[in-house]
Amino acid sequence: MKTFYSKIVSLFLVFSVIGITLGVQSCDKEVETKEALGVLTPASLDQTASTWKPIILTNYSTQVPVAAPAATTSAAYLAEIAVIKDAQSKLTSSQRSSIEYWSAGGVLRWNQILRGLVAKYNLPPAPKADGTYATPDAENPFGDPAFPFSNPPYAARAYSYVSVAQYDALKAAWFYKFQYNRPSPYKVDSSVESLMPKSDLPAYPSEDAVLSGVTAEMLKVLFPAALEEITLRAADQRNAALWSGKATASDISTGLALGKSVAAIILAPGTGRFRTDGMANAVGTPAQWQALADGATARGEIPWISLDNPSRPPMLPNFGKVKAWNMTPAQITSERPLPPTPTASSEMTKEVEEVKYYSENSTRERLAIVHKWADGAGTYTPPGHWNDIAEEYIAAENYSEVRAARAFALLNMAIHDAGVGCWETKYFYFNPRPSQLDQSIRTGTGIPNFPAYTSGHSTFSASAATILSYLFPSDAQYFNEAASEASMSRLYGAIHYRSDCEKGIAHGNKIGGYTVTFAANDGAGN
Amino acid sequence: MMKKFTFLITIITLSAGFLRAQTFTDGLMMPKRDLCTGFIYSNDSWKNYWEGTLNRENGNIGTVSTKSVAWMGTYGITDKFNVIAVLPYVWTHASQGTLQDMKGIQDLTIGAKYNFLKQAIGAGDLSTFLVGSYSTPLSDYTPDYLPLSIGLAAQKLTGRFTTHYKLSKGWYATGNIGYTWRGNVTLDRPAYYTDGQLTMSNEVWMPNVLDYSFNVGYIKHGLQAFIGYTQQNTLGGGDIRRQDMPFVSNRMNFSKIDATFKYFIPKINSLAVWAGLGYTVTGRNTGQSTYYMGGMLYTLHFGKTAN
Repeated sequence: MKTFYSKIVSLFLVFSVIGITLGVQSCDKEVETKEALGVLTPASLDQTASTWKPIILTNYSTQVPVAAPAATTSAAYLAEIAVIKDAQSKLTSSQRSSIEYWSAGGVLRWNQILRGLVAKYNLPPAPKADGTYATPDAENPFGDPAFPFSNPPYAARAYSYVSVAQYDALKAAWFYKFQYNRPSPYKVDSSVESLMPKSDLPAYPSEDAVLSGVTAEMLKVLFPAALEEITLRAADQRNAALWSGKATASDISTGLALGKSVAAIILAPGTGRFRTDGMANAVGTPAQWQALADGATARGEIPWISLDNPSRPPMLPNFGKVKAWNMTPAQITSERPLPPTPTASSEMTKEVEEVKYYSENSTRERLAIVHKWADGAGTYTPPGHWNDIAEEYIAAENYSEVRAARAFALLNMAIHDAGVGCWETKYFYFNPRPSQLDQSIRTGTGIPNFPAYTSGHSTFSASAATILSYLFPSDAQYFNEAASEASMSRLYGAIHYRSDCEKGIAHGNKIGGYTVTFAANDGAGN
Repeated sequence: MMKKFTFLITIITLSAGFLRAQTFTDGLMMPKRDLCTGFIYSNDSWKNYWEGTLNRENGNIGTVSTKSVAWMGTYGITDKFNVIAVLPYVWTHASQGTLQDMKGIQDLTIGAKYNFLKQAIGAGDLSTFLVGSYSTPLSDYTPDYLPLSIGLAAQKLTGRFTTHYKLSKGWYATGNIGYTWRGNVTLDRPAYYTDGQLTMSNEVWMPNVLDYSFNVGYIKHGLQAFIGYTQQNTLGGGDIRRQDMPFVSNRMNFSKIDATFKYFIPKINSLAVWAGLGYTVTGRNTGQSTYYMGGMLYTLHFGKTAN
């Protein structure tokens, strides 16, 4: 038995060594969850930003007044300086991490956070036991289903409202910064450390606090169940501004109030744009859903039916009537693509055959393209994918916060308008998916629960590529190729006909052009 | 939609099901210079699955079935040291909805098994074994199409300790415990959300896996039959969210029971037939699967005619 035990012991030793070795290697498994962003050192102060064309606000001095700050020689201000010095004298590593995190730029960070929220809430309601579906309810956001279901139209609108609100709030902030010209604490007192890059941008009101206030207020309405995360992030941003020596308590409290007041105008019950843009009616009623099908039948077409099991009501059929940012309702209708290939025609038979070819001849390369762009349930959606793409270009330009906000606002207005235009088209024609016309067609990704014509991916992507090409002209070819790939991924995945994709691209390019026209005349230059 | 399940099931089937009978987890050794090789067919299907801990059905996939044909071979370097290899070809299919089937060569597993102790204790013999194995995908399949992916595409390294006690009358009991280190996997997309976090990367951290099993059986006169219980726990990873798709790094846990039968055909020495079936009793982020398998294995004697 002695050999028995010695063998056991020696083998366990050998095993432990193997385990430890592998354990050490497994530390290398760590995946960086946040996109790498450098420290933002704005290339320009953008002193004239308050003259750039506002989107929703009309007059900063009357709509969102900000009182003059106390003098930097006042006792109150000096007390605020003392608070910063005290905080800086005992910074913890977690506080330093916050400073590092937010020094990448508040607009970029909030865009990442927003993409995370969209992905978190982008889940369709589960069927109930009786085979029906409950509608997500803003009054019961923690229920089953949760609110919201941040599907592509919901997400497009959310990205646009957050970006536009940030952009208007920052222009208002710039208006007061250069009216009052209160310097940063580290400029007033050289013993205050500057733990973020130094800048000549006036500190009052704090742009970080403005962003925290306006963004948190918008997000709390868009993603009410995420209240805790949103509130903590916003507070962290303000704290980082103070700890870094960038802003005093009064710079911050004034900025917070300004940000919140901008959000309050947009969200005002009964009058705010957010409340009156038509989103409240986007879900529609069973009678309206039936009328869509009846309309298609009356035109001699096969109407779309849900391919979900159990059958699910169509996704936001009235989203096409939601207010666009840079297009009038008349322009939305006049830009609507011509009717799709008639479902009974021989041309449609050919279109279906082509889809079936891609269904039956999937290659690894095409499947990778399908999955790269699928952006389906549980993801940040195609609008989020284009924010992801844009982030890198916006970060590389070292834009000031206000110019970064402009870039995201332009992008997301173009994407929202694409969503409105595309949804208006989808429900105007109510055209069936390939797998409805030929049930043998199997798909490489989930079939979205709305009509086929035209492709949402194509429209979103082309509109995004159009505005990004305006902002970053030297990379236009890349953006357009990416949009084209996103578009074709839907044919490769056998969930769209080629004409859905091609018409969607052309439509998206036109829609993006409206925001380009806005951008070219907003006084910000390119 | 529910891509991960299939793969999980595949793993379950391969690692805990028929392979147990094969050699990674059992208490048997091939004699020196004998090669046992053949093919095993398995069919695993489930209609219910656990979305996190919620047991449910899904009309958009119906019943998901995974079939595989695996080649396997075990060779006796010595009576106490065997090498083992397994390579399956896998087909997946969902009975409802529109999602495409997947098929392809899955992961090659190669391993070594060392019988470091064998001695008489009481009325029987006690044997203990160490098994190490490495597994890697042999084709570029996607793990991001669960439950219809053919696998999880992770490289795996497994260490296993097995104890086998056999009475002279043929009854035996085997217990074993294994720990599997899994390498990260790469998706075709630039970002994904799992476990409460949006990750801006195509790389997915894969939690490691602990499994253990216990069998009792009978082996004598060319007949082997046993029943077993297997538990697998993934040591980390997120749950499938409500009405979400499965994800490659989900915390896939299960316990299952199975029965396996092996018989050497009397007149054709060296040819063995295998059959087995199993059922998943409890699970988390896995399918509640039923499987059956059957196979034929032939033993070649390269050594001098020892007997």
